[in-house]
Amino acid sequence: MSNLFSLIQNENMKIYRRFGTWVMIGLLVLASVTGAIIIKATHKETNDWKAEVAADSNNIRKILKDNNIPKIQKDHLQKQLTINEYRLKHDVKPMESNTFWGYLINSADIISLVTLFTIIVAAGSVASEFSWGTIKMLLIRPASRAKILLSKYITVLMFAVSMLALLLMISAASGALLFGVETIREPYLAYQNGAVVETSMLAHVLQVYALNCADLVMLATFAFMISTVFRNQSLAIGLATFSLFIGPQITYFLSLKFDWAKYILFANTDLAQYIDGMPLVKGMTMPFSLAVLLVYFVAFNAVTWWTFQKRDVAA
Amino acid sequence: MKPILQLKHVRKDIGKKTIIHDLSLDVFAGEVFGLLGPNGAGKTTTIRMIVGLMGITSGEVLVNGVSVTRDFEKAIQHVGAIVENPEMYKFLTGYQNLVHYARMTKGVTKERIEEVVRLVGLEHRIHDKVKTYSLGMRQRLGLAQALLHRPSVLILDEPTNGLDPAGIREIRDYLRKLAREERLAVVVSSHLLAEMEMMCDRFAIIQHGKLVTIESVQELSQQTEKVLFIVEPKEKAAQMVKAHDPHLDIRLVDQGLEVTIDYKDIPRLNAMLVAEGINVYGIHVLAKSLEERFLEMTEGNEIV
Ligand SMILES: Nc1ncnc2c1ncn2[C@@H]1O[C@H](COP(=O)(O)OP(=O)(O)OP(=O)(O)O)[C@@H](O)[C@H]1O
Ligand SMILES: [Mg+2]
Repeated sequence: MSNLFSLIQNENMKIYRRFGTWVMIGLLVLASVTGAIIIKATHKETNDWKAEVAADSNNIRKILKDNNIPKIQKDHLQKQLTINEYRLKHDVKPMESNTFWGYLINSADIISLVTLFTIIVAAGSVASEFSWGTIKMLLIRPASRAKILLSKYITVLMFAVSMLALLLMISAASGALLFGVETIREPYLAYQNGAVVETSMLAHVLQVYALNCADLVMLATFAFMISTVFRNQSLAIGLATFSLFIGPQITYFLSLKFDWAKYILFANTDLAQYIDGMPLVKGMTMPFSLAVLLVYFVAFNAVTWWTFQKRDVAA
Repeated sequence: MKPILQLKHVRKDIGKKTIIHDLSLDVFAGEVFGLLGPNGAGKTTTIRMIVGLMGITSGEVLVNGVSVTRDFEKAIQHVGAIVENPEMYKFLTGYQNLVHYARMTKGVTKERIEEVVRLVGLEHRIHDKVKTYSLGMRQRLGLAQALLHRPSVLILDEPTNGLDPAGIREIRDYLRKLAREERLAVVVSSHLLAEMEMMCDRFAIIQHGKLVTIESVQELSQQTEKVLFIVEPKEKAAQMVKAHDPHLDIRLVDQGLEVTIDYKDIPRLNAMLVAEGINVYGIHVLAKSLEERFLEMTEGNEIV
């Protein structure tokens, strides 16, 4: 009977009225601004980008002569070569990190910080109510447990989106201030069906951000699940951050030996591998990864929902 | 009269252990009903089942005739409760806590929040963070959140825990007032026996998860009682009483005469003493305290 909107409002109040949340927001802003300052201070200008691109192309051609290299790698290099040739022909300078767009692309690396903070918030969402004892007050209202859980989950995702938007805005602002906006009209060179096309840089930046969000969503959902099942925030933070930092490594080593590694969550969270890289295991495709992610997503949420719905509250 | 809160053959198993056995009770509008039992008797478990925090293994709980398990949202909207300690969000102010709970129920206005704050006497501290509150203030805030939506059943688990004597008295009077004037059904639990006696109209004694008995405080005080007559001269009075009814159990004590007598017979005995020229300075009903009663019921067994 209480409506979902009010419940979400409550959850947001509980997040933003806490000091810790503002520390996280402060750290994110700091990371984004310092990133720009460091690049400004350390970046070396290339004198002659055309010579460098030409050298790179020669290198690629040498490697391509070898017939033993696998097909995926060959395709990847071929694509690189085509783009290089396009640059020289149409005088399109490669994007450098000390430019407005270059810095925005770089700022996507800071998304792992957003992931970490979202994990912390997700891990606390249910577990804190138990450790504070407030769960007893929360669940004796005319609101179903399902609705309360949904409001919490939505609020966690809202937090992630707000943090991403903040990161993008602060990075854009510090990029514009430190590197200027003269290069803002430069296009992004995309490789589509064997040809190079000029596309919007903004769309590219948003795509890079979006592709980086797969592990953000998956790990937040994972932390949310652990938090609900074990009612312990530290455990949820621990397991999720461990997975965040160690998961990809372990998956990589496994993928060298075993084909089934492609079913591991972390083999699939890096969706950028299909755009400008090589798949971890031969035969993996974007739809395959999306399907695997969906299965994990549904499984995590089912476990969370089921435990929250069924278990007695005897804290 | 239809009961507001009904427990029908409620049973709770946790693992292989049965915590509550076949518990049935009815609570009516306008009464304060006690759940009395020693530590570990199952009072909190019973309350958790009533408010839906714990599932019910078998049997059912009805609020205004609506099953808590089958139609939770409809049943619980008439219930206000504090289960064990009144835990609040410590990083929020008292007022923000109330806003939080107000948002979860329909029709709680800003005016109602302020009214409840005044009711529990927190107006001076309501905008302070809860982490700065004393236990008594948290108890009051807990009461405020339970009353916010004008429930018809109020359930409080050990409501006087942590309150000073003045606070205990205040809560007691307040709960009685809610029951009398607003026709609420109030359920309180306690292991403090004397407190139940002062606060409740009826109470259930629970031991080892089983209902031992349901007693009415009024009936209890009207059973055969020890009555102290403060009289002068004592010896003469004793003789008179013996002559009046040789079956009465009489004992001479310092202040006067202790007689075990039916409640309704007290005025007659007094009239007789006065008529015989004995000076009667006072009559005290030494109500058999609940404690005695309680220990009698549970046969002085080990309690946990
Ligand atoms: N989650 C649980 N798992 C197993 N046993 C439990 C659980 N919760 C309570 N119990 C047992 O159920 C019994 C009743 O506990 P409950 O908390 O209801 O007692 P109580 O009457 O409220 O006692 P107190 O006066 O100490 O508050 C106890 O024996 C307790 O050990
Ligand atoms: Mg208890």
